[in-house]
Amino acid sequence: MTATDEELVARSVAGDSDSFNQLILRWERPIYALAYRQIGREDDARDVVQEAFLRAFRALPGFKGQAKFSSWLYRITLNLCRDWMRRERRAPFVQPPEGVDVDDLVSSEPSRAESVETMVTRKDLSRRVASAMLVLPDEQRSAILLKEYHGLTFQEIAELQGCPLSTVKTRLYQGLSVLRRELERRGQGPVRPEGSGQP
Amino acid sequence: MNETRLCGNPDLLMSYLYDEVDPRARRDFEAHLRTCEPCAREVADLRAVRGDLAAWTPPEAVLDFRIVRGAAPRARFAWLAVPELPAWAQFAAAALVAGIAVGISGLDVNYHPQTGLSVRAGWSKPASSVPGPVAAVKAAPVQAAAVQAAAMPGAEAPWKADLAALREQLRTELQPTAAASTAAPASGQTRLAASLVPMSDAEFMSRVRPLLTASETRLQREMALRIGQVVRDMDTQRRADMARVADGIGVLEGRTGAAVATQREMMNYLMRVSQVQK
Repeated sequence: MTATDEELVARSVAGDSDSFNQLILRWERPIYALAYRQIGREDDARDVVQEAFLRAFRALPGFKGQAKFSSWLYRITLNLCRDWMRRERRAPFVQPPEGVDVDDLVSSEPSRAESVETMVTRKDLSRRVASAMLVLPDEQRSAILLKEYHGLTFQEIAELQGCPLSTVKTRLYQGLSVLRRELERRGQGPVRPEGSGQP
Repeated sequence: MNETRLCGNPDLLMSYLYDEVDPRARRDFEAHLRTCEPCAREVADLRAVRGDLAAWTPPEAVLDFRIVRGAAPRARFAWLAVPELPAWAQFAAAALVAGIAVGISGLDVNYHPQTGLSVRAGWSKPASSVPGPVAAVKAAPVQAAAVQAAAMPGAEAPWKADLAALREQLRTELQPTAAASTAAPASGQTRLAASLVPMSDAEFMSRVRPLLTASETRLQREMALRIGQVVRDMDTQRRADMARVADGIGVLEGRTGAAVATQREMMNYLMRVSQVQK
């Protein structure tokens, strides 16, 4: 039976570093995805992930379980990303969306079932989305990332961002609205699914 | 719920969009969407944006972070790293060093009827081969100190135990003679020297030499065994490292092949696209 995060945290606090390594194994991908989407650089995202787990390990005795371990980890990661952006004094880095970088396409490992056409389209859309996300304020971008890619509830995001629930929804609404306009401006108008608008 | 609260309500719109709304509010809002075209369009647009967001995937990354307590930095060439020696090996190494020290120092054990037992290191030998009275060790308790001085500090050479046993045996054998001589007024040096008279040089050396020879042989055998084991360990580690390197090269070759295939497919695609555009 797989141990829960809470059980692994308790064992880690008791000095079992293997349990903490299980937590790392469980959460390193989501944390890396969050860090990468926040700062847009693979190497720096890896550094942020490493630092996040190191800080979590050191602060583990002070973690009393008021929040979920994952939420606590997300908060550490977002703080590190914000520190990184302040330290670097620059906006998140994203490849220019124009054109298709063949080298990058080759270096990635697409799934076997994905055709080249699909891969090109997905890559292009991915770049446009990444580029459009840059225009969002940090709070809106974080709210969208936590909701869209990590499935946090409004309440969890509110606790993580330290703001009221309604503020989270407003940030999400404003962020998605800006993204819609940005994608249209960049030539990627939202493709409405069939029957959309009708529940 | 009135129409004013349903229209232009981001709170409700987000709750509905992310399915965090209670069933009754959902029903009300869905009924509203059927009659309000702007709200229905906004919901559709926001859903489309969410669909686009799904396309944004981070690149694959090799993470593999681990917390390691008190980890020593890994040697660049692991097979060259000598593993930590067990206690018995450390003892054998210390004994070897002691033996080498004894050999280098040219340890010389002599007994003379006039001067008593003397243990000398090669570098402390006088020009004359006859041991002088000052360097001679006169009493059994002092013999041990002299022998220790010839060896490395703290080294427990195997022959020490044998020498100590011999010393005890000699002390037992000479005990009556020593007791008798105590009655006669004499200096300590004369008395102790006299107590050793019953044993001749040849007899003493015949007892000591086999012990030293046996100890030396034992040391050589242990050292040979240890060296053989270290060589085997190094060879095993080297083979394991070579296997890992071979595996890594195989993975790289596989990835390179896949990359070439993808690039070829990409070029074909670009060719097709360019032909269509012409």
